[in-house]
Amino acid sequence: MNLKIGIDVGGTFTDFFYVRKGQAPVIHKVLSTPEDPSLAVVRGLEELAKIGDSPLSASEFIASIETIVHGTTVTTNTTLTRTGAKSGLITTQGVRDALEMRRGIREEQYNNRYTNVEPLVPRYLRIGVEGRLDRNGQEITPLNLDEVRQAIELFKEESVEAVSICFMNAFANPEHEQQAAELVRKELPNAYLSVSTDLLPSIRFYERVSTTALNSYVGPKLDWYLNQLKDRLQKAGFSGLLLIMQSNGGVMTPELARKSAAQTLLSGPSSGPGAGLVYAKIHGQSKCIVVDMGGTSFEAALVVDSPIVANSGKIDRHHLALPMLDIHTIGAGGGSIGWIDKGGLLRMGPQSAGADPGPACYQKAGTSGAGGRLPTTTDANLILGFLNPDFFAGGQIRLDMDAARKAVEEHIAKPLGMDIERAAAGMYRIACTNMAQGVREISIKRGFDPREFPLVVAGGAGPIHSCLICDELEIPFQIIPRESSILCAVGMLMSDIKHDFIRTFVARLENLDWEKLESLVAEMEDNGRRLLSDEGIPEEQQENVIKFDCRYLKQYHEVSFPVPREAFRMRDLEQIIKAFHAEHNRLYGYTLEAEGAAIEIINVRVQAIGQTEKPQPHEETTGTADPSEALKGKRQIYVFENENFEEIPVFDGHRLRSGHRISGPAMIEQITTAIFVSKAFDCLCDPYGSLALFRKGSED
Amino acid sequence: MSQTDPILLSVYANTFKSITDEMSIVVEKSTRSPILCEAKDFVTGLYDAQGNMLEQTENLPILAFSLAPVCRYLLEYFGDEIYEGDVIFHNDVFSYGNQNNDVAVFRPVFFEGELVAWTAVKGHQADIGGNVQGGYNPNATEVWQEALRIPPVKVYEKGKLRQDVWDFIFANIRLEIVQHDMKAQMGACKVGERRVLELLKKYGTESYENHKSALFEATQKMMEAEIAQIPNGVYCGEGMVYFDGHHEGSEFTIRVKITVEDKKVVFDYSETDAQTNGFVNGTYTSSASATLLTFLQMVNPDIPHNEGMIRPITINIPEGNLLNASYPKATTFGNHLCPPNADAIIRALSAVIPERVTAGWNNLLCSLTTGTDPEKNDRYVDIGFMGLKGGSGAMHGTDGYDHIGMIDASGGLLDQDYEMFEQQTPHLLLKHEYITDSAGAGEWRGGLGVETDFRIGSEDTQVVIFGDGDFEPAFGLFEGQDSILNTIELTYPDGEKVVPKNKDLILGVPKGTHYHQIAGGGGGYGNPKKRAREKIKAEVRNGVISPEAAKTDYGVDINK
Repeated sequence: MNLKIGIDVGGTFTDFFYVRKGQAPVIHKVLSTPEDPSLAVVRGLEELAKIGDSPLSASEFIASIETIVHGTTVTTNTTLTRTGAKSGLITTQGVRDALEMRRGIREEQYNNRYTNVEPLVPRYLRIGVEGRLDRNGQEITPLNLDEVRQAIELFKEESVEAVSICFMNAFANPEHEQQAAELVRKELPNAYLSVSTDLLPSIRFYERVSTTALNSYVGPKLDWYLNQLKDRLQKAGFSGLLLIMQSNGGVMTPELARKSAAQTLLSGPSSGPGAGLVYAKIHGQSKCIVVDMGGTSFEAALVVDSPIVANSGKIDRHHLALPMLDIHTIGAGGGSIGWIDKGGLLRMGPQSAGADPGPACYQKAGTSGAGGRLPTTTDANLILGFLNPDFFAGGQIRLDMDAARKAVEEHIAKPLGMDIERAAAGMYRIACTNMAQGVREISIKRGFDPREFPLVVAGGAGPIHSCLICDELEIPFQIIPRESSILCAVGMLMSDIKHDFIRTFVARLENLDWEKLESLVAEMEDNGRRLLSDEGIPEEQQENVIKFDCRYLKQYHEVSFPVPREAFRMRDLEQIIKAFHAEHNRLYGYTLEAEGAAIEIINVRVQAIGQTEKPQPHEETTGTADPSEALKGKRQIYVFENENFEEIPVFDGHRLRSGHRISGPAMIEQITTAIFVSKAFDCLCDPYGSLALFRKGSED
Repeated sequence: MSQTDPILLSVYANTFKSITDEMSIVVEKSTRSPILCEAKDFVTGLYDAQGNMLEQTENLPILAFSLAPVCRYLLEYFGDEIYEGDVIFHNDVFSYGNQNNDVAVFRPVFFEGELVAWTAVKGHQADIGGNVQGGYNPNATEVWQEALRIPPVKVYEKGKLRQDVWDFIFANIRLEIVQHDMKAQMGACKVGERRVLELLKKYGTESYENHKSALFEATQKMMEAEIAQIPNGVYCGEGMVYFDGHHEGSEFTIRVKITVEDKKVVFDYSETDAQTNGFVNGTYTSSASATLLTFLQMVNPDIPHNEGMIRPITINIPEGNLLNASYPKATTFGNHLCPPNADAIIRALSAVIPERVTAGWNNLLCSLTTGTDPEKNDRYVDIGFMGLKGGSGAMHGTDGYDHIGMIDASGGLLDQDYEMFEQQTPHLLLKHEYITDSAGAGEWRGGLGVETDFRIGSEDTQVVIFGDGDFEPAFGLFEGQDSILNTIELTYPDGEKVVPKNKDLILGVPKGTHYHQIAGGGGGYGNPKKRAREKIKAEVRNGVISPEAAKTDYGVDINK
């Protein structure tokens, strides 16, 4: 039956999504089971079997699944809750503290109560051993294997579960690391092992040791979880292919994920941007900004042909130098708490009421949280009429207007000397400004003009705020996907297999050793081909992308840019240099092209991509423009352009049909999402059930 | 606040902050000198038409106060000859510059023909002329031996480059990258201008004017509320400076008298020693920054950095004083008078707000090595960031921060990455680790110091040393103990040992010389005997406290 299912495990819900040819896509949600997330996965699949026109038994249904793409936050949570493996580090004598020092940064400079983050490996398990390579990888002192043995003995005594190996200048010569690794494999066969140059053979010691230690810290936990998941799935009758989401927006097999667990550390939101692109493409756009507003956080990412990639990031203040999607997260969600600072300014978040206690209006909701006392974004949205107290989550959760008003009155309206409605409007306004700022981070600050991008809006509360966000940023066009509330699960079905490789190769571009460079690239491409072939991807569905990390001589930060295959093949330096100048200019607003400044390459990267099969969107037939069949009624809702409440029409989102057109201001209600079409926008329902919002007069 | 909207006020505050942050990212990512892009020794700021600070991103706290006084001076200097499209450079320490090497770019922002704001970036340049490359000349006695003076000068007027002026300036500066870095600073100012204009287009001049005044008032209130928590009174403290670079054994005392009266605070330095004849002299702007950053660490760290924050604070430093040298004294060391100035303020306030002050921080002792990489046949300059970063002082309830570096940077200055260090210099790193027992003992211990060892890889290497902390360690508070001293020692290949003075210039250091440096820890806070036993045991196991020190300093026998 060729069934491919996306399963996204979140903090509260585990989302399921699949498409069968010729049928409407299926969306399903079950409560997550944090102690063992695989329980919810299997439960959800069993429930899915019963949905639809022709129910199957659970085992029949699960046996018919060919591919499961799975997003897990096991490694992320392990790091954030500090429940990772007891780890040891073998490193070069004299530099064992680099991991803990983090280059000596204190992120909050004026805050003397701000303490350093606890190191992933305690100092007594960080062992420096004799053995040294110079900057070119030449051996100065041979590796002292006796000292490595002593370290291993200590690790045995201390019941260490995971071992990291990272030596100075190993990026230029992995020999010492391999020698030590061999000994560890022999003496500690059950320990999880991470070798820095296997994971990240590139220059910058701190980044490499931190990444390696993170991998060891989360590896055993992920390994355990994947075993649980495979076991349970197998028992339930699954015999297809399981793929795991990575932070780089691609997927990989569980066998690889076990080895490079750190690749999943920031994978939570990483399938969203790719999904956003699918909806943008339906409207003829190959780029977009994708935003996702959840209960506690707001995520923004930018896509140009493919999602923008960053070469490093941070998790809980630990450096992670692996390619990952450039997703900016801020503490702005439905649960974000409004407060007045000591100077009398209204602020929203980053503190959040989360799911427990939850917004004030959850007093009688019957949710896990009993409802807090502090005013949140959701409370403001209720007061402003954006949320329907009787139709929240399709009526499953009843919202308490009095509690919301009381919280806003006490904590915002009174201190600011204004009425409750105006205070709520202010909260809404500030929340939107914060989110617009989040969008600036991934657009303007990266050299992109947000006005040129459609905004794809995800998350239950996202489309209440998106018109004002678009107003702030002058964005003329937004798309609210039909699957807005489970965008990441959709993205999983759209993800290709991706493997990233890197080699440090320091040289000036004008006197490049092309043969050396080509052999490095060929080696990485071979590795990629081998992995993809093992994963069953035929040659014609494989592709390689080459990137250089370059900089002007003596600059400290590199610019990473794709090198056209043809230019690389022809050794066309001129074209490569032009591409570097162009990217530098886009990012930083100037080049040193006229000055003829020398350029040096630091790293060369290859991404091996294996294309997977993707479901085709389900198209409806187009009907009339008149949406009156979907009209539910009218209610008083705050229209921010007029700074006033107005009686505006409310539509049932599930009764909207392709071709229906609604002129703002209007409200559209779905079970999982509420959409506010402001006065400045018109809304058109597209053939795939998504909503396209055009700034009035801008539609072409 | 009659014409202001409290909600819009928050929008303005957010926007101002995002503008200076965005400018900061442009500078960080596009400059070439490691002092700018790695050490982030620069500040970006936004000022109103009168030169009042709207917001700034200072990166290093020592730059907290360094632009606004210059902005006001420019207004006075150019009067009605400020035009759209102007770009102005400035570094002159005798017209409110803070340090010669810190060169500022100012760009006036016009909206509908009216001057409405200034965007500015000040950054520490890799060279600014003078006798010694890099600017740190321990032998200097006058400003001209240190730097090219740049009083306010337009390099662009009405959008047109003044090539003659540009060429004149850069003919007096050794390194070409300084031109590129100044262009990067100009780029950041332009980015800032664009955002200010977007804001004005949306809300108009009147709304902007009203709201910025309201913002200053709101911030002022916050600062006043903080000051009001300190009991009224007059509090005095001292900090010591050792060696002016010329007279061995010379010592100088910084004396501060702090008067707290209701919602206002005055820092008076009238009793501080007179200026020196060397380069160990402060400028008003840099000294006032030092005072502010130390005080800001004792109040709520979330107060916005704008004009309103400064209004309740008065800083009085008479000219001719060690902290405010008169024309034409040498002053390059001035920023590094921050640690002893902070010592004086901490000592003054420790009795009255004991739970808000830290014990003493490790003072700066820094080296700068210059030479030619024999393999690459290329000149290098390296500032020894990783070697200079000691520990911070402990405070009530919180241990000091390990390897954070001097208080002027408070953890904003990063180590070189070890492998990048070996790529960019010919040196071989032998050791960079925490030092056992380097932290001042206490119920809350000081931050740990570090030890740095490397083998020098170039012949005829020049080593410039500047700093302090080799005579007096970071001090403990309330029965907390002092830390250990800073040291630098060179061992030549023939076995000869050289211990440089704390302001020194050493020439002809041969390849193969062993460089050794100790940056001490921070002072401890409270009686060490009260420290939790489990913490001490864990620290002994981790080797940051020795079993002997556990016994003598903390009274804990680890074997029992």
